[in-house]
Amino acid sequence: MSSNFAIALERVSKSYRLWGRRSQLATLKSALLKRDLKLAPESTILALKAVSFVVDRGEAFGIIGRNGSGKSTLLKVVSGILKPTSGVLHVNGRVAALIELGAGFHPEITGRENIVINGIMLGLSKREIEKRFDKIVDFSGIGEFIDQPVKTYSSGMYVRLGFAVAVHVDPEILLIDEVLAVGDEEFSQKCIAKIQEMKYRGVTLLFVTHQLDQVRNLCDRALWLDRGEPRAIGDPARVVDDYLQDVSGSAPAPSIETPPAPKDEEERWGSGEVVLKRVALIDDKGRELVALGAGSSVSIEMDVEVRVPQDDFVFGVGIYHADGTCVYGTNTDLEGLMPERLDGNGRVRFVIPSLELVAGTYRIDAAVHTRNGRAFDYRRGVMRFVVGSRVHDIGLYRPRHQWKFEGGIAFREIDNLKRNVPAQIAEAMQSTEKKKK
Amino acid sequence: MRRLAAAFQQIESGAEAPHSKSVNELRTLYRYRQLIVALTARDLKARYRGSILGFFWSLANPLLLLGVYTLVFTIFFPQQVVRNYPLFLFAGILPWTFFSAAVLESTNSISGNAGLIKKVMFPAEALPLVVVFSHLVHFALALPILFAAMIVYAALGLATIPATALLVPFLMILQTIFVAGVVMCVASASVLLRDLRDIIANLIQLGFFITPIIYLIDNIPSRLLRAVLRLNPMTPFVVSYQDVLFFGHLPGLADTMLMIAYAFASMLAGFVVFDRLRDTLAEAI
Repeated sequence: MSSNFAIALERVSKSYRLWGRRSQLATLKSALLKRDLKLAPESTILALKAVSFVVDRGEAFGIIGRNGSGKSTLLKVVSGILKPTSGVLHVNGRVAALIELGAGFHPEITGRENIVINGIMLGLSKREIEKRFDKIVDFSGIGEFIDQPVKTYSSGMYVRLGFAVAVHVDPEILLIDEVLAVGDEEFSQKCIAKIQEMKYRGVTLLFVTHQLDQVRNLCDRALWLDRGEPRAIGDPARVVDDYLQDVSGSAPAPSIETPPAPKDEEERWGSGEVVLKRVALIDDKGRELVALGAGSSVSIEMDVEVRVPQDDFVFGVGIYHADGTCVYGTNTDLEGLMPERLDGNGRVRFVIPSLELVAGTYRIDAAVHTRNGRAFDYRRGVMRFVVGSRVHDIGLYRPRHQWKFEGGIAFREIDNLKRNVPAQIAEAMQSTEKKKK
Repeated sequence: MRRLAAAFQQIESGAEAPHSKSVNELRTLYRYRQLIVALTARDLKARYRGSILGFFWSLANPLLLLGVYTLVFTIFFPQQVVRNYPLFLFAGILPWTFFSAAVLESTNSISGNAGLIKKVMFPAEALPLVVVFSHLVHFALALPILFAAMIVYAALGLATIPATALLVPFLMILQTIFVAGVVMCVASASVLLRDLRDIIANLIQLGFFITPIIYLIDNIPSRLLRAVLRLNPMTPFVVSYQDVLFFGHLPGLADTMLMIAYAFASMLAGFVVFDRLRDTLAEAI
């Protein structure tokens, strides 16, 4: 049966019992006799309260929240380590859980032997592991230490080996708990690249992290858990922002909150101290555009209204294809611009001398937020524009390019094509031909 | 919510026919056979790596027992239990050691691997079974020493090597099933009830003496006491090993029936108890 979801939870709750000395025998008895783990409420802690969500196949789903909010419990329930106290859970596909890297390693035996055992634990056969063995060792960067007992490894090596095994078991669903924070910068980059690659290959990701940037960058949707209860679910940038607003203790009701919008309309959120009054795409002469030719010179212009002066602020823009693929995103902070003052209304212009995009419909996100990501005003899909082109090339990005032919290869220009080729390319082709002659 | 409802509808319409519980259980175990083999190998390797005498240590305890009781009953208080007393003792001590060491170690087999149970998707039943298999390996490795001793006795003309010794593998299979059941009960229950570890340790001490290892059950004068000793589930196993390895006759019919009954009752109890406690393990450790 093919189904399009990977994980489905319906009102899943999990309560932990408080373990007392005296209750041991009672617990054993009740577990044996009644098979019933429901206990008097005073002796339990509710770690998850009626959590429901569906994660589609191939989706990256982030879970954020304060410490002790039930994130790891949720991951353990999904992985099958813990059983939900009530509710229904369905998981479709082979799961690998990165809950603690290298948790299954035995210190006395070698890295090589541990890879085999760890791989079997994650559901591979011995032969499958042998096939992947070199890739695992290579990815981990352990080198000749692979034949040393694991107890001689540094904690970084331990974690690297654990991650290497887990990502090479080819899971359909990967559960990740806070593990990308470990290891040095280089390895952490490698992990993120690997996870992105897995996402691209259609692996479903369930992701617990405190690194909110990762949620924004990697996840398609996010869930904010607060004391075991879902507080927000949906667009990661938005959920992260709601969470940050809450953590920083600002007013619970964002002043310019709009109701959830269908995908092709603008979504907007933020605390409203600074507002992007107008966001527009303009050409050289200051005219607003909604359609333009490939290679045009354009700017994204934002009229900024400052209601409360700020000293920590970042302006950001993003260009997305209509299918949701991010074409490009950047902000002032990423480009090393230090905020100096924001104490009066003004205008921000993001100038693109030549917009090298392939024909299609695109949308623009514009935002002003603090450096840790708390939004003043986040306008997702604030405007759409269409890029037209006479060449039916494909993809998103059209690099400036030309064709050159030498030796026994020659082309003849067809009128039809000539008519279809934008001026720049036609020019380039002519000059090439001239050179050849 | 609509998505959710749709997802669950999908699940219900595509639900597989439910299998019976025990079939699933056995299937799970079969699926994890490689894991159990690998973990047993890991256990043995880890145990012997870094110790000079390695494998010898798993034999040290039965050999020590053998030495002490031989000394006590042939020199301190000479008793004519049987001729070639050390061989008799050896035949009973080895299966007893398999049972007692596995059960004793199983009390710690799950709590000692808390990392696996709490952090990895891991079939918890593999852990007690690994204990059983690694002690079975010790037992199997000790048998050649017993055979060597038998050959020495035979060469000296003191004893003959009985053909019934060939039946030992069958006894080992039955005993392994029996031990596995006990171990699964003890391993899971001792997570929830830590006191069980000490209770078991003491019971095993006692068990050594209420099992006919150092004496013959027929030499007990009291009929009542004999009956009590026969209730000990390890009695038919030890007596049968002595029958085939020392006395050179087939195990009695009653003992054979009892062994089969104990083996399957214990396995059933092991599955039931473990299955009921499984869900609490990850939390209780």
